[in-house]
Amino acid sequence: MLNQWLFIGILAIVTYLSRLLGVELMAGRKMSSALRLYFNYVPVAIITALIVKQIFIPTSGRLVLSFPVLISCLIAALAVRLTRHFLPSVVIGIVTGLLVRYFL
Amino acid sequence: MEHRKSTVKTACIEALPLAIAIAAYGLSYGVMAVQAGFSLLTAAAMSVLVFSGSAQLVAVAMAAGGAGMISILLTVMLLNLRNLLYGAALAEGLAPAGKWKALLAFGISDEPFVLSSSRFKKFGPDPVYFSIVTGMFYIAWILAGYFGALMGSQLDPQQWGLDLAFPVTFAALLVPGLKGKPVIATALAAAVIAISMDYFAPGNQLTIITTGLLAPLVGLWLHGRQKHA
Repeated sequence: MLNQWLFIGILAIVTYLSRLLGVELMAGRKMSSALRLYFNYVPVAIITALIVKQIFIPTSGRLVLSFPVLISCLIAALAVRLTRHFLPSVVIGIVTGLLVRYFL
Repeated sequence: MEHRKSTVKTACIEALPLAIAIAAYGLSYGVMAVQAGFSLLTAAAMSVLVFSGSAQLVAVAMAAGGAGMISILLTVMLLNLRNLLYGAALAEGLAPAGKWKALLAFGISDEPFVLSSSRFKKFGPDPVYFSIVTGMFYIAWILAGYFGALMGSQLDPQQWGLDLAFPVTFAALLVPGLKGKPVIATALAAAVIAISMDYFAPGNQLTIITTGLLAPLVGLWLHGRQKHA
């Protein structure tokens, strides 16, 4: 329990510091366009890595592909592409994953 | 006074659609936080104290996957680097707030940046606009996160497929942003790096942070090549 509070506290501090530093220290400075692009690509890379980690699950020392997770991700991706609505796409993805899990 | 009233009204109207979107992410965050072992109280406290969709979603997903505190914090710090950009871009527009600027800085993230930077460009510095927008997002984020956590704690995760909420949420977050070859290349490179690292060292703690550091370089390289082509 204490660990969770400690975790939240540190998370809050590092996140706030990044915001404050931007406003106080980086203001008026020219940042190279390469650095800007790099910072903007970082979330795409991290989110992709998180998805990969969920699709390929380490089981007794090797990676195993989870079909329910893979298919639910593909369906959610397709749904959000077509509908542009986040929450319905998440629900569609989860329901599809559940169906795959029970029927395959 | 009349001017301020119209600013408040405009801010509310412009923020509302995004506040609804933020509430949807918040709902997902709450469900995921409970899956990751956070209580209703700590899940809500994280929203109140951190107030960052990307940082919180990534943190709870990594915690659920068994990642240690250090690797989560490093990843979040990497993710937070873009706040430096946002802060730098918004600083002038928030300057009239004086010493309150440090408080307003708490609200800096993707969505307030998008709305406020375009507002400042058109109408000049406007801390009131920024405060209203981020205030609405803050309330939406906390309430939705709490309801998500409440929902997550009531349902049987396996039966309702709540464990699938993690990958599916991230897939739905990722896809709308995949515009332009450099971004797509970054995502593909990230997939290759992450799969390779986990293939050779399954379940290791460094995959996410290493991917986050390296994959953007591929996007950057492609961007440079496109420009010179």
